[in-house]
Amino acid sequence: MPRTLLVIDDDQDIREVAKTSLELVGGFRVVVADSGQRGLMIAQEARPDAIILDLMMPDMDGLKTLAQLKHRQETAGIPVIMLTAKVQAARQELVGQGAAGVLVKPFDPMKLPEQVCEILGWDALGKDDTAR
Amino acid sequence: MRHKNNEDRVRAALEKVWLASRPEALSRLAALEDFLAERRSGKTNEQRHADALSAAHRLSGSLGMFGMSEASSCASEIEMLLSQSVPDITKVTEQVCRLRKLMEGTRNS
Repeated sequence: MPRTLLVIDDDQDIREVAKTSLELVGGFRVVVADSGQRGLMIAQEARPDAIILDLMMPDMDGLKTLAQLKHRQETAGIPVIMLTAKVQAARQELVGQGAAGVLVKPFDPMKLPEQVCEILGWDALGKDDTAR
Repeated sequence: MRHKNNEDRVRAALEKVWLASRPEALSRLAALEDFLAERRSGKTNEQRHADALSAAHRLSGSLGMFGMSEASSCASEIEMLLSQSVPDITKVTEQVCRLRKLMEGTRNS
């Protein structure tokens, strides 16, 4: 059974490219959200195996969304990878606030699934080979 | 990676996404040019500045995914210049002209 990833980004291009890459190259099941608020709702309903979360978004930004995800019991255990163009300055701060890791924009669609697995310590792309 | 066939499917899908999003990318470029035109006319509009900064940020984040790494770097440079409290308009103008050439010179089918 494929693992499920939730991609939260207000930029439609990023959502579409990430979804295409993670599904076709990585073999993941992907759900998307276009805002932090919608992402919180979907995370609670879909309980994804991991979340890829954009840092800079209008209204509820990535840091606020991350804090909410970590605050809520239902989503606190879901690893969150932050997606940002400002990685050098932000990496330590983001990890300190509960992020599992950081992905840099722009990402290479062919390498994105491998990068996700590397950050999360997953062996197989997409495939959930652990008993849940 | 899975199969090479899947990589081909991804490339084809990316091409489709780029074709659909190219008008939006060009409108973001236009937002940068509008900001510069306004500055050249002596006006300062904070909203226009914020729009230009947002446009540069989005172009920086998206162009590289479509294989336009030089254009993405150029947009990052523009974002950095626009982030300064008093942007160097001469440098921004140079970079925006360069970005237009890069965007029009690649994958414009």
